[in-house]
Amino acid sequence: MLSLKDVRKRFGSVQALDGCSFSVERGRMLGFLGPNGAGKTTTMRTVFGLVEPDAGAVLWDHRPIRLDERLRFGYMPEERGLYPRMAVGEQLAYFGRLHGMSAASARAAAAAWLDRLGLADRAGAKLEELSHGNQQRAQLAAALLHEPELLVLDEPLAGLDPVAVQTLAEVLRDEAERGAAVLFSSHQLELVEDMCEDVAIVDHGRVVATGDITSLKRASHRRLITLQLSGAPPDWLPRVPGVELEARRDGHVRLTAGADVDPEQVLAQAEETAEVVGFSYGPPTLSELFLELVAR
Amino acid sequence: MTARQAIALVAWREIHEHLRSKVFIWSTVLLLVVVGGSTALSSVLHTTDKTYRVVVVAPLPGGLDAALQRAAKPFEAKVKLEAVRSAAAARARLETRKADAALVLSRNRIVFQKTIDTKLAAIADGGVRSVRRHLPPAPELTAATVEPPSSSSSDAETLVAMLGAMMLLASLAVYGQWVLTGVVEEKANRVVEVIVATVRPRHLMAGKVIGIGLLGVAQIALIGGLAAALLAAGVFDAPASLGASVALLVPWFALGFALYAVAYAAAGAIASRTQDASSAGLPVTYTLLAMFWLGYVTLSVNADSVLAQLLTVFPPTAPLVLPARSALVGVPIWQHVLALVLVLVAIYALVRLAGRIYGAGLLRSGPRLNLRAALRLARQP
Repeated sequence: MLSLKDVRKRFGSVQALDGCSFSVERGRMLGFLGPNGAGKTTTMRTVFGLVEPDAGAVLWDHRPIRLDERLRFGYMPEERGLYPRMAVGEQLAYFGRLHGMSAASARAAAAAWLDRLGLADRAGAKLEELSHGNQQRAQLAAALLHEPELLVLDEPLAGLDPVAVQTLAEVLRDEAERGAAVLFSSHQLELVEDMCEDVAIVDHGRVVATGDITSLKRASHRRLITLQLSGAPPDWLPRVPGVELEARRDGHVRLTAGADVDPEQVLAQAEETAEVVGFSYGPPTLSELFLELVAR
Repeated sequence: MTARQAIALVAWREIHEHLRSKVFIWSTVLLLVVVGGSTALSSVLHTTDKTYRVVVVAPLPGGLDAALQRAAKPFEAKVKLEAVRSAAAARARLETRKADAALVLSRNRIVFQKTIDTKLAAIADGGVRSVRRHLPPAPELTAATVEPPSSSSSDAETLVAMLGAMMLLASLAVYGQWVLTGVVEEKANRVVEVIVATVRPRHLMAGKVIGIGLLGVAQIALIGGLAAALLAAGVFDAPASLGASVALLVPWFALGFALYAVAYAAAGAIASRTQDASSAGLPVTYTLLAMFWLGYVTLSVNADSVLAQLLTVFPPTAPLVLPARSALVGVPIWQHVLALVLVLVAIYALVRLAGRIYGAGLLRSGPRLNLRAALRLARQP
């Protein structure tokens, strides 16, 4: 298990991390969310010793991380980094060996991952000859080929087409099932909601919420009510205390309500004035939760 | 993974990638051609007849001119004889360089100004023997010089010293630049983040310097080896012992490279973008050039001066000066040892300092750090 405990880091006048705490368990996937400049990349870099925290602890299985343990981690930095003029297959094998694999098993793993990511025929090509999407895949393979126990990916979804996103989601899910702890940052909240069990939301260098997505959503004080009405007056609103209009479009009315509001009351009032075609009630989506938590 | 494995892996990659880039192969081939070609050139130059100017103190024995021409023929040379009245006049001719040698038959001597030309001495000896109808092996002439001969170096020695020093300078600059650009490229491509997550920065630096250094040593050893072998085989018109001075180039390249390459690595680490690479390396390149010129000028004036001896053991100049001085006038053993000890101490100190600057600068992005900021970073624990 990776755990960060009250990690602090200041760069000059900027407090990049201001008591950042959360943990990622083996076999689970954690989406690391936060607005730009919230401290996500800095947090990830502390795991690899690329940033030395001013205070706090970064622990693996409750102990400070040693260099030889770090060899069993996989890292995909935000600004992708591979050797542009080195052949892809050799390059991956080299990274495998840097992670302590033997030459033969590194070559085999490189070939297997290139095959799985659809790059088998490009193994001999230089990295700079690959398309942007394929370079991303090669980068992913470099983070994965040594079967890491912890996988840290900074914005792995950025710039990927929907097919590539699908592949990546499958790969990460398989890695978690294999037993790896997976931590990745993203701004694509719908995808994170689909892919991850857990999230940590960071703002101003501080984790404002962390845990499994379902519990976090349920713990929210807000609920979302969506009505699809036919024949309702254009300015119709239920007169229930604690209910507010979120949006209204083409007969759809989106309302927010306190967790204590009875949705039956809203439904009953709607049925009095119009035909109710659709009705939904539930906790906010991850996006809404995110906006609620990091509203500035 | 141990430190040694990590360093070996990084070094292996450097060697592998540079061998692949073909620049190394072609520059090696080119330099081998230059060294081999100069052998051919030197033999071509030597086929052209050389005319020696010899003064003889009167009286001139009959048949001496013809005998000298006969003796000179196998050496592909000619002799131009001139008779003078007195030994003093002959000496004046020598000193004003109007003659290569003076033949003093009354004292069985051939006198040179500074260095004995063994070829001319042999020609004169053969010619005088045949005139006097003596048979070898009894020595006929004794060779002597007007000035003590040891204080100067022959043309071949100067040439070997110059070319050797220039080859060291060029190799240090070129391979140092490889280290520099390698470091900056890794930084600019951000690949360094992935690597430093698994390898300590100082091991990455060590692997880089060792890998590129081995390529440089291999190249110098190949070229220097060819030159030393040619010298030893007597292909050049030079003492065979010069081969040893040429062989000195190899270890001194390795030592000089260790010194300058870590400085280049540190310079690379404080730059962030490839555009900054060349300007970041300038302080190191200027230092290297300044050390070369300092050594060059000092050795040209007097290779035995106190300053020349100091530069032989002073770490930044030792790699460039020691092999050159060894070729010119020879270097005593104690200076060899002292130079080696001092340069090893300097390498140790610089590796520690540069390693810290490298480690601190490696993960920084943004504008290039100035030297003071880099040193401040290096001081932080």
